Amino acid sequence: MSSRFFKPQFDSESESDESETDIQPQRPAPAVTTAYAFSDEEEETKRVVRTEKEKRYEELGAYIKQLKNHMKIKDISKMLTGFENLTKGFLKAKPVIEKEENGITPRFYIRCLVELEDFIADVWEDREGRKNMSKNNSKSLATLRQKLRKYNKDFESEILMYRENPDEAKDEEEEDDESVESDDGSENRFLTKAAKVKDDLKLDDDKDFDLGKDDVSKSKFLKSAASDDEKESDESDWGSSDEESSSSEDYENQEGAAFRFLKKETGETKESKKRERKMKERKEGGKRKVEDDEEGEWERVTRGGIIGEKPKMFTKDEEITHVSVVKKLGEILAMRGKKRIHRSDQIEMLTELLEISEAHKLGPAMRIKIIFGIIAALLDYNTNMSSCMKPEMWEKCLEFCNRLVETLIAHPEIAIGENIAEESESFNNPTFRVHGCALTLIERMDEEFTKILQATDAHSPDYIERLKDEKKVCYIIERLQCYLETDQRGTSSELCRIYILHIDHLYYKFDTQVFEQKKRKNLKNAADTNGFQKIEIVIADKDENVEDNEEFKETSLDLMNKMCKYIYAKDNTDRIRTQAILCHIYHHALHDNWFEARDLMLMSHLQHNIHKSDIPLQIIYNRALVQLGLCAFRHGNIKDAHSDLLDIQILGRAKELLAQGLLPKQQERTPEQEKLEKRRLLPFHKHINLELLECVYLVSAMLLEIPDVAANEYSVRKKMISRSFYNQLRKNEEQPLVGLPESMREHVVAASKAMRVGNWKACRDFIINDKMNSKVWNLFHQPDKVREMLVQKIREESLRAYLFTYSHIYDSISLLILAEMFDLEKATVHSIISKMIINEELMASLDEPTQTLIMHRTEPSRIQGLSLQLADKVNTLVEHNEKTWELKQNTFGSQSNRMFGGNRDQQGYQRQDRGYMDRNRDQRRTSQYRTNQ
Amino acid sequence: MAKWELTSRLGKFLDRHLVLTLLEFLSSNQIYDEKELLLGKLEMLKNTNMIDFAIDVYKKLYPDQTLPAEFFENRQRVVAELKELETQTQPVLAILVQDDVSQQIATTRDSRQLFDYLKVNHGLTSEMVDSLYKSAKFQYECGNYSGAAQYLSSHRLLVSPNDKNYLSNLWGKLASEILMQQWENALEDFNRLRDYIDNYPYFTPLQLLQQRTWLIHWSLFIYFNHTQGKDMLIDMFLERKAPFQKQQQPYLNAVQTICPHIIRYLTTAVITHRRRREYMKELVKVIQQESYTYRDPITEFVECLCVNFDFDGAQKKLRECVDVFNNDFFLIALQDEFIENARLFVFEIFCQIHECISINMLADKLNMTPEEAERWIVNLIRQARLDAKIDSKLGHVVMGTQAVSPYQQLIEKTKAMAIRCHVLTMNIEKRLQTPERAQWGVTEI
Repeated sequence: MSSRFFKPQFDSESESDESETDIQPQRPAPAVTTAYAFSDEEEETKRVVRTEKEKRYEELGAYIKQLKNHMKIKDISKMLTGFENLTKGFLKAKPVIEKEENGITPRFYIRCLVELEDFIADVWEDREGRKNMSKNNSKSLATLRQKLRKYNKDFESEILMYRENPDEAKDEEEEDDESVESDDGSENRFLTKAAKVKDDLKLDDDKDFDLGKDDVSKSKFLKSAASDDEKESDESDWGSSDEESSSSEDYENQEGAAFRFLKKETGETKESKKRERKMKERKEGGKRKVEDDEEGEWERVTRGGIIGEKPKMFTKDEEITHVSVVKKLGEILAMRGKKRIHRSDQIEMLTELLEISEAHKLGPAMRIKIIFGIIAALLDYNTNMSSCMKPEMWEKCLEFCNRLVETLIAHPEIAIGENIAEESESFNNPTFRVHGCALTLIERMDEEFTKILQATDAHSPDYIERLKDEKKVCYIIERLQCYLETDQRGTSSELCRIYILHIDHLYYKFDTQVFEQKKRKNLKNAADTNGFQKIEIVIADKDENVEDNEEFKETSLDLMNKMCKYIYAKDNTDRIRTQAILCHIYHHALHDNWFEARDLMLMSHLQHNIHKSDIPLQIIYNRALVQLGLCAFRHGNIKDAHSDLLDIQILGRAKELLAQGLLPKQQERTPEQEKLEKRRLLPFHKHINLELLECVYLVSAMLLEIPDVAANEYSVRKKMISRSFYNQLRKNEEQPLVGLPESMREHVVAASKAMRVGNWKACRDFIINDKMNSKVWNLFHQPDKVREMLVQKIREESLRAYLFTYSHIYDSISLLILAEMFDLEKATVHSIISKMIINEELMASLDEPTQTLIMHRTEPSRIQGLSLQLADKVNTLVEHNEKTWELKQNTFGSQSNRMFGGNRDQQGYQRQDRGYMDRNRDQRRTSQYRTNQ
Repeated sequence: MAKWELTSRLGKFLDRHLVLTLLEFLSSNQIYDEKELLLGKLEMLKNTNMIDFAIDVYKKLYPDQTLPAEFFENRQRVVAELKELETQTQPVLAILVQDDVSQQIATTRDSRQLFDYLKVNHGLTSEMVDSLYKSAKFQYECGNYSGAAQYLSSHRLLVSPNDKNYLSNLWGKLASEILMQQWENALEDFNRLRDYIDNYPYFTPLQLLQQRTWLIHWSLFIYFNHTQGKDMLIDMFLERKAPFQKQQQPYLNAVQTICPHIIRYLTTAVITHRRRREYMKELVKVIQQESYTYRDPITEFVECLCVNFDFDGAQKKLRECVDVFNNDFFLIALQDEFIENARLFVFEIFCQIHECISINMLADKLNMTPEEAERWIVNLIRQARLDAKIDSKLGHVVMGTQAVSPYQQLIEKTKAMAIRCHVLTMNIEKRLQTPERAQWGVTEI
């Protein structure tokens, strides 16, 4: 029964006491225990928030319970210490009692005193028994009697009152006795009852406790409303019973039918009947509530606040003013986190309160204040961080957020802010002031929205349904932004926060208008420079209106620019700025603004320190980088595209690095880690197509690698440009039989093979065909442009590969023929060949008059190549020798050596540590980046 | 041909007085409307104290109108102020000319010490020092640059580098020297200022960037007038500093972020530089990187030549370059040098990739007549800068083959090996003999 460990202290105590009384209850079935464990845990979490009073009373309760147990076994010496503890505890509780109960001593305490008195009197009378007592006990008895007499004098009047009306306490006594399970049966009237309950007890302490109480409540409910109230207050006196009831309620709500089912099996049918009755009563209560509503007299049948008076709505005659509503609101809000309050009740009450305030026209400030409360309550509804809101809740939340923003905009005279103290709030002056921060609530709402999307299956219609709310969320954010922007209502940091929120909803969205605008601008520029003003005028005439309208229409890019620039200038938390930069890069890259995106990336120097930042930021970084790579590819900057995508693709963990899904079996993860990772995942609509990504990467790798392979056929020092591309090639070669390409990868591999021998047409057909179009290329914004670029690149690189591969066969080649072969312009061929000659990749020179390329017999034959390699190797050997010598020679040789080793270690550590960053983007890489331009 | 004109871009980063010189140049060049220029000049002068100059301009602009009264008022105000400032600075100057003081100046290096000395012995106050700076500024505003320079150099002696006016002092001094066309002094001041900016720890990155941008622009005056200016220009932008430096090439960075138009001057400097090949690669990188924000015929020329190997395009651009040079204040003197070097550069690359070139084509590419071209090539061959022969019958230039045979390669590769091994064995032998002696040495101590 591991769950026992989680139990609160005094519970286990009572249990041990229970075992002392020799009743070894049959242990319930394990399934039941787990159910209890859950509720126990719940208790534990809820316990955190507790008033002083509650704590003290609980303490007292525990003492009393103990005392009673001792009473039953007549262990008087222990009773003495127990009594002393009790009085001490009461002393401690005194200030609280003074405050909360106006100095009236709680009834249960008095009752305990009375009982104790009776007991002592009984024992004292029983001379026989007294003689048989141990010496210790009889001594204690005498002291206790003395003490008690003295002590009770202080409470004389209360005790008298209690004795006059002891009946009332009967139920409670009953309850208590049940809980401690008196075999003893010092009071006869309980015997029957106890016998009946005994069976229940066999289940579990907790359960029967609440069952017992069910009994009580059953009888109670049949009583008049007045006694109902009283019962409530009495119950609240009972710290322990409070808890039980709330926990039972909890499991009822959460465990539901399954639990009840189990229970039926183990328990008696009686119980279920009771339960049913109880349910009925609840419903009745609900009905009554409705009636009350109609009457305008609100009386809640909640389980009551701990304060003793339950937070009920106003009575009929009560005047509804700002003050009273605020007070009520405070009461309702104070219920938060308390045990017996169900959160949905709280929300309902708040909504009601809102209606009342509306009905009495308490003004917008009041409305805002209450809506604040409602939204906060809605967002607090779930205690569990990882689970998301229920759809109904979410819709409600959205509605209230909307209403909040609406009210704020409609009433600009209201000042809200976290810095406004609750005391200085004003609801009826014209200068309204309300405490609270709309921004924080909206931020939390946004988080909740993400959570909901995460929890929804991305391929179900539900997801689309939820995604429709995105629009609403954006609208709310936009309006709040408007609100904060006007009249400088928000501080700069607040503005930064709302901007980043807005950016977060904007940056991944594609805006076709950006392209249209770009086109128009280009047209205009062209017209300007060419001086064809006539044409311009004609164009202007034709769609003057449209153009004017659209020109002034803000595209998402302009919006991003504006907001990001504000953040760059004003933000002082580094994180928001970094996030803004990354989103800005992403957005630029998405809209083909390659240079801007690249410059922003380079200028931000994020490559160096991104691995120090938190993981969500690294994810955004990865996304921005990938988008940059795709953009570079569209622009035909293959090298950049490759280097950008390399980091993400190299380990084949793109999915994880972009937070678009968890890898099934990676290294061992604890459930918490997994939960964390799950929470980081992006909602589906933000995903970047992974196949597109991989294809672009592989094609770029192909374009870079294949000519390189062709050039360095014999060289040993050939550096691998892309490992994963090689992996694909190798996989293909390992296959015994290579069929027609099916998947995207196979296509690329087949294309690579074609390119290797300079067969550009085959290469093109492998890369660009219907299958690949539908799979990959059509995903780009302007697929035709991309394809065009790609074909051009394929031609060029094939030409290079061809020249590398076959140059040793030729003595001279005509440029014209080459141009024809590869369907390229002569100038392009010339330029490519010139570049190769300059870079000394091709040992040849051009013969200008005849337009031919003349090879110099420099491509070494096999044996020559090998001997050159040999020479290289011998050279390195010599170098190594010299290095060794230098190290030996150097007095600090060993030291520097150690340092070197240390460095290496560190590097290794970094590599492990990198996690989401994967590859160290050090200085060298940036410089590489720059050289690649 | 106002398209490639940069004055409006440069002007943003220059002092008023420096811009005036640019405007003077432009009005002599007559590519803009004279009237507009004069208007601009007048606007500029309004905020200076050079009233007489302003009056001149005004008269030129409106020859038939009488001068507005504000000019005279201003002049009176300026004169009065000048007088007042002179009386204020008089005591300081009086102190400084005393013999013992000048001695002290020569001996003490530390400005603090000097200031303390003067404070004790001559009653110098910090207010007086500040007034010295103020009057220097005023002199400068009036166009009396030599006076300003004098005041400023005295002022610098008296203030510590942490003084609020120290930076302004440096800038003022540099401006004065530039305007007096004292290039040696200007260079000295420039270096001082550059050191100060690079090492001053309290600039925010943005301020630093701004300071550097200004410095770059001001330095153009020096670099294109000083004899060694171009070397320094290249040094400033392209030399990589020691690797431990935090920021590599900060000035190039500034150019890339704020003022890509400076690339024009850098390109010119590199092409006219005798060791251009070393820098070319780097330059091409920069040009390509910034091609979307800045391009003009000069950068395009380089791009055509070094990236696309489009010789025809390069030729076209080279022709356009002439216009650019004619309209650029800084470059106008370099035109011929640039054209010659560019030609040579084209030819170099051409020779690298060709084996056989017809002279006619070459002449076309080099923008020369065939006879000129032939003479030019003959000269190059004679000066042994080119391994080539002319086939006069076909009108071809045939390059000497520079291909290396594998055997040659092999020999090259293994040649050094023997010597290296020899050295190594020698060393080892030496070492084998020395240990005992070394031990003796230790024991002796």
